[in-house]
Amino acid sequence: MKPRRDPIYQHILSEIGRKVQIHPNYADLQNQFALLLMVEGDMERAEIHFLRALRLNPKYREAILNLGFLYMETKRWKKAEEIFLSEAKRRPRDGFLHHVLGILYLQTGRQKEAAARICKAMQYHSHYRDYYRKKGVWQRGTIHLDPKAESVLKRIHLHPYAQFHNFVGLNLAKRGKFAQAVKELKKAEGLNPDEFIFRANLGTVYYYQGTYSKAIQEFQKALKINPLYGMGYANLSYVYGLMGRTREALRYMNKAVRLNPPYADLHYNLALLYNDRKQYRKAVLELKKALRINPDYLFARINLGVLYEDQKRWKEARREYRKILRITPDDEHVRKRLERIS
Amino acid sequence: MLREDFVIQANIRRMLTRTDIDASQIDFGTVRGVVYIQGTFQLSRFDPSWDSDKANEFAVNTLYSLEKKIRRILGVSDVIFQLNNWEKEKGHWFHAKMTKEDETK
Repeated sequence: MKPRRDPIYQHILSEIGRKVQIHPNYADLQNQFALLLMVEGDMERAEIHFLRALRLNPKYREAILNLGFLYMETKRWKKAEEIFLSEAKRRPRDGFLHHVLGILYLQTGRQKEAAARICKAMQYHSHYRDYYRKKGVWQRGTIHLDPKAESVLKRIHLHPYAQFHNFVGLNLAKRGKFAQAVKELKKAEGLNPDEFIFRANLGTVYYYQGTYSKAIQEFQKALKINPLYGMGYANLSYVYGLMGRTREALRYMNKAVRLNPPYADLHYNLALLYNDRKQYRKAVLELKKALRINPDYLFARINLGVLYEDQKRWKEARREYRKILRITPDDEHVRKRLERIS
Repeated sequence: MLREDFVIQANIRRMLTRTDIDASQIDFGTVRGVVYIQGTFQLSRFDPSWDSDKANEFAVNTLYSLEKKIRRILGVSDVIFQLNNWEKEKGHWFHAKMTKEDETK
């Protein structure tokens, strides 16, 4: 594996290294740090941090897979196989895992098992059919594992590059480097097309960048892979909102709320959409739901007060404004509203 | 022109990601064009070599710029900041801790 030495990467590495020292019990940070060390070529330290992540959270799938790839990189095939087989058992329709196992078997000279895994990878994800065709492995409906095709596949660096590119992409996006972030996330997506979160992250970066049609495309692809990804619907709603298409925004926010009923923020946003579309009764209901989840949700309470005012429900409006002023007595806007209706 | 609150919210959400502000510590809401910003204002990145004066100056400039950007969003009629650690008095931003210390002097 070629170590990565560019300044952005080095900056991210030292930043995460500092965070790991401050929060040694965050499995996420341990996994991220290990990933960065691994890409730098420091396998020994990477393994230590992956194992720490898994001690903190034994079900942490990303760390489990990353450790498997580390074992592959360091040619500890048996350990790697154990990890990927157990994951494939848990998620038998994940094309990526079969693809990884196929490569692993090729590396260890087990062509028959490799061919079976490659078949499964293609069966569960159409992306792999094109992929193997390009590599000369899939020809006229059959698998050809001749020495040339094999050597091509063996040279493939599988992972944890996908996770790594995803992580670097998100980090670049946070720094406002959207074009570079898109490149990194596309690499992640190309390496593991089954992972909905890579597509969702790419959608988010397009959304930040202002490329709304591409953002919509990516969120929809993510939702095709994982239709239960509620935040994907919320993000679609925000994008449509930015495009001024509030009808679609309302439809998607509704789905987001249905999938994530305990999120007060989503109820609040749904209420705004109902309010904007003059469906006041529904807006009041959603604001009440948001306030049941979080009684200190100030904006929801102000909106509710204003809606009561609109409906000339003065007593209820006053009640909401008084509650707000108990929490934020300096809110002049609310004080004026209360004075006006008192 | 009156613009929908949800559209304003979506604009602010996107705008916050394009600033140097740690958006995870900020909460925002919109009520008939009036934007509320609450929470703790923290920078997501700054040069570690800066001293506290320089960091404060950068934070103040970021706050002014944030307010300006929000006011520029179509349909926004006012911006109300209710931050834990920064206060605006007579058009100037002060670190909330600093003002309290000043009061005790």
